[in-house]
Amino acid sequence: MSNPSDAPTDQALIERTLAGDGTAFGILMERFQRKIYRVAFSVVRDEVEADTITQDTFIQAYTHLSRFEGRAELETWLTRIAINRGRDVLRRRRFVSLFTLRSDDEGETETMLEPVDERPDPERQFLSVQLRVAIQRAERTLSPQQKVIFRLRHYENLSLEDIAAHLGLRAGTVRAHLFRAIHKIRSELAGWRANPRMDHEPAIQ
Amino acid sequence: MNQQFSEHYSEADLLETYYMQPGASMPVMMHLADCSDCAARYERLEKKVRGLSACAHDDKPDTFWARQRISVMRKIGARPSAFARTARVAAAAVLVAALGGWFSSRQVAPPPATVMAPQTAPEISVQITTPADPWDSEELGEFQSIVAWESWDTPAAKNGDQS
Repeated sequence: MSNPSDAPTDQALIERTLAGDGTAFGILMERFQRKIYRVAFSVVRDEVEADTITQDTFIQAYTHLSRFEGRAELETWLTRIAINRGRDVLRRRRFVSLFTLRSDDEGETETMLEPVDERPDPERQFLSVQLRVAIQRAERTLSPQQKVIFRLRHYENLSLEDIAAHLGLRAGTVRAHLFRAIHKIRSELAGWRANPRMDHEPAIQ
Repeated sequence: MNQQFSEHYSEADLLETYYMQPGASMPVMMHLADCSDCAARYERLEKKVRGLSACAHDDKPDTFWARQRISVMRKIGARPSAFARTARVAAAAVLVAALGGWFSSRQVAPPPATVMAPQTAPEISVQITTPADPWDSEELGEFQSIVAWESWDTPAAKNGDQS
């Protein structure tokens, strides 16, 4: 049984890759491809495009590996590449939608999500669906920047500081974008009422 | 969020708190610490949002991830790394420089620079070659003896020998 501490470090694998060892890059990819795919999917909400972005991310990383200075973690660097690629996809979709008169995110795959509460409570299911629909509807009204920030927060549960680091923005800027995005979601939730079983709870504004 | 300490927060407020990070909002955190109802609602909301955002990509079959790796490795197999590319470019530059030096050392002197004629009217220069001694003229060659006879002043004639 191999000890996890025996696993080569990212830096060692990078050096081996630069020395021409192709298998080292394969190990790096195996290490991070799931995370990168998840981030890409969070941003573009499309499985095929997330796959393409993941592949492009690793190809770009490989071709520029000698420029990686190791100031940040390799994972952070890869995530940043993936997010930038995802932003390009969102911008392209927005551009195309200008000419096709389609909704910005019409082509996005709607992921079927299971209700979150453990108990099979139809009421809770209904509220979960309402919340999901409200979030998805609000997402369509967001700018690409707001969308990326909101999705990284919502789907990846990244902190504002992490999002700022990945996007190369100040935390305050990220906070402002996120705040605007959440207000759009709040307006979408205007019709959503709290669980009626809890009578003292105020309704969603 | 202007609720007083005693008031409950709405779901929308709690949702905003969730996204904007609970720790960043001290009034909400203080309220949640004191209000078990809101704390429970916040917990349920958090669970709900986490559940909505969860994506089941990790349970993709291993073949998906293997195919993705193979695809990338195939693509980068045809594309050298930056290091290898730099090395090749450097080698090519050295080769070009060496070949350039070799060719320039073999090159003959460059042809004289072409001087463009001035745009003024061309000067017509007619070179008339005149022999230094008119007697040497080719045209007078066959008459040489006559001319020489007519102009020949012999010393005897000069001396009055006209017999």
